[in-house]
Amino acid sequence: MVDLKFVIGDPRVCTGCMICVNVCSMRYLKVISPERSRVRAVRIEPGLDFTLFCRNCEDAPCIDACPEEALSRTSKGIVIVNNKKCTGSGSCVEACPYNAIRINPDTEKAIKCIQCDECIKRCPVDAIWMTTMRELEERDPDGEIWALHDEHSEELYSKEDLQ
Amino acid sequence: MIHGVGGKVIWVDLTKGEIEKRPIEKKLVEKYLLGAGYLSKVLFDSIPTDIDPLSPENVLGFATGLLTASMFPQSSRHVVAALSPLTDVWGESHAAGFWGPELKLAGYDAIFFTGASPDPVYLNINDSTVELLSADDVWGRDVFETDDILRKRHGKRARLIYIGQAGENLVRFAAVMNDRDRASARSGLGAVMGSKKLKAICVRGAGKIEVADPKKYMDTMDEFYRRMLANPFTPGRAKYGTTNLVEMMQHIGRLPSYNMRQGVFEGYEKISGETITEKYLVKPRSDWCCLQRCARYTSVKEGPYKYVGGSPEFETQSSLGSRCGNDNLESVLFGHHLANQYGMDTISLGGTISWAMEAWDEGLLTADDTDGIDLSWGNHESIVKLIKMIAFREGFGDVLAEGSARAAEKIGRGTEKFVMTVKKQEIAGQEPRAQKSMGLAAVTAARGADHLYAFPVLDEAGFDDEIRERFGEEYLPEMAERLNPKYKGIMVKECEDFMVVVESLGLCKYGTQIPPEFYYEDVALALKVHNGFEFTRADLQTIGERIVNLNRLFNARRGVTRADDCLPDRLTKEGAPLGPSKGEVVELDQMLDEYYLKRGWDNETGIPYASTLQRLGLVEEASGMEIPDE
Repeated sequence: MVDLKFVIGDPRVCTGCMICVNVCSMRYLKVISPERSRVRAVRIEPGLDFTLFCRNCEDAPCIDACPEEALSRTSKGIVIVNNKKCTGSGSCVEACPYNAIRINPDTEKAIKCIQCDECIKRCPVDAIWMTTMRELEERDPDGEIWALHDEHSEELYSKEDLQ
Repeated sequence: MIHGVGGKVIWVDLTKGEIEKRPIEKKLVEKYLLGAGYLSKVLFDSIPTDIDPLSPENVLGFATGLLTASMFPQSSRHVVAALSPLTDVWGESHAAGFWGPELKLAGYDAIFFTGASPDPVYLNINDSTVELLSADDVWGRDVFETDDILRKRHGKRARLIYIGQAGENLVRFAAVMNDRDRASARSGLGAVMGSKKLKAICVRGAGKIEVADPKKYMDTMDEFYRRMLANPFTPGRAKYGTTNLVEMMQHIGRLPSYNMRQGVFEGYEKISGETITEKYLVKPRSDWCCLQRCARYTSVKEGPYKYVGGSPEFETQSSLGSRCGNDNLESVLFGHHLANQYGMDTISLGGTISWAMEAWDEGLLTADDTDGIDLSWGNHESIVKLIKMIAFREGFGDVLAEGSARAAEKIGRGTEKFVMTVKKQEIAGQEPRAQKSMGLAAVTAARGADHLYAFPVLDEAGFDDEIRERFGEEYLPEMAERLNPKYKGIMVKECEDFMVVVESLGLCKYGTQIPPEFYYEDVALALKVHNGFEFTRADLQTIGERIVNLNRLFNARRGVTRADDCLPDRLTKEGAPLGPSKGEVVELDQMLDEYYLKRGWDNETGIPYASTLQRLGLVEEASGMEIPDE
């Protein structure tokens, strides 16, 4: 199996400007709307700025949860939504432990990060990058980035945040 | 319709508890844009002339700009305005953050508050829901506590604007705070919120902003981003924010010290940007779509001044540092943190304390006046103690909470001589004897002493090319010379016109004025792709001029004339005592003559000529006023 790619942000480096969030909604929906972006930016004091993307889990609970089989993994390892099949049931939203998939309120279809690279290109401080589990272990051998995510998991992944 | 905006304006009658939503008036936007320009017009029409700024008759406005929540670099800003309780004239203040964009995303461009609530309230906005709720449980709380409590209640993603105890206690330089550590600090508008018993505005917006030209949008913004990041100023701004201006200002003798007795401070290295960056910086921070990240997140890890939180900026290093003869950096950082917590303008705060310190130094204030507090230069423990006393109006703090001009009037004994204000607002950290344009800008600014209304920095750091491009070759070299009063009237006028446009768009002065990367043509392009407006450079210049003239009419209606456009004698009559600008004074009259001439204002009264008002479409606004003929 290929190494699954995903986007990660370092909350100590990110300054919280939300350009990634806005690039995403502009690119895919031609609007500026954090609510409709596939990236979430969450500021947690003191001094942390998280950018949250699809983790591209190996077991991908979102795929299994969909009653319409609208979610699938491509040959390149990216989990995508088939808009023709998606009915906006929200089962994937429920299943995702990272709050990384949401329903677009306009189309009522699921939206998620597909690792397109557009936000990464525009980050002014290089706080986000395309990674794999293997690459991240090399770059952050002590696991500090994951540790910060784990420490604040309740606030970062609370479903309440989607209200 | 107008693209790229919320589309609605909220009017709240706090006396009756009534809320009304109105569509944004396109004709008004075409004439005044949004933000500062829009507030200038609506408040000119709705604030009665002869009222007390802290009475229910005052009208308090909040507005986002036309490009707030766009993707233009540094497009996060909002404006707050009302009749100022500090200056008794036009009061306006601005801040960055995320509150402004959130308001747009909820579908609103501006909010106005009339009347006063009998009990403490806050306005809660959740998309189409707009409601007044009781603020009983947050009244009396500081900014950080209020933020915690209301975000717990309305969701972590809610964005807030609020006052701390200083605003509740009607401190005349109380700030309106947002997003914890951002401040619309000047003009004392926090006290206007306090007088209306309005504690906060909580906003949650899940909407979307539809831009005029989605096809060209990202390419246009990408080019702006490329330019912003390639500008030679950006790396320094990212590294130091504004904190290293201490070193730069010391170098040119422009660092106000000892209540503006002088423009150099022997302890400057101890309060410098280099020291903050090395010892106390946690990380740089950005607001919405900001590529320059000048905000600082800092901490003092132990000792009496322990804290973790946002900023400071150069202005606080100067006001609580050099201006008070204080080289204890940890006390400056902590004092700044306290000012955020209680919600106060650090410029007026430090300016008022330093006035008291000079009066003490001259023997005009004694321990009998100050509740026994020692006000020797640099006594950092006293400074920190006074900050809390001012916010809560305790003892001598109650006198200082009125600002230095009113405090001196009350104390008398010749202390008036040491008041460093224009129109009762304390002069910012820009010693004008070392940069003449700053002296002129401080007196012509509509909100009283102010460096930002014009922000005339083109003579500060070798921007000859930009002067050539913005004004023309014929103004060089004089316009670029800091100590030369020549052409500064022309420069300040043009800078004011552009800066009020920038404040009407919700953009930052960093990127438009320093560094001067984006100018009229660039914002016109942004207005085209974002809002669908086809403004030319000349159109926008006229709008800027119109806003400045309307601000002037607002003040003229309150009795302001040329006689009020003056600096303390120290700056115009006493040569700078030492440093690189030794012997210099501000040649104010010469610059003012040039400024009024360029503005088309009467040289004696400083009131716009009838022909100027005619040209700008302000005849109706001036009806009933005595307008001079050319």
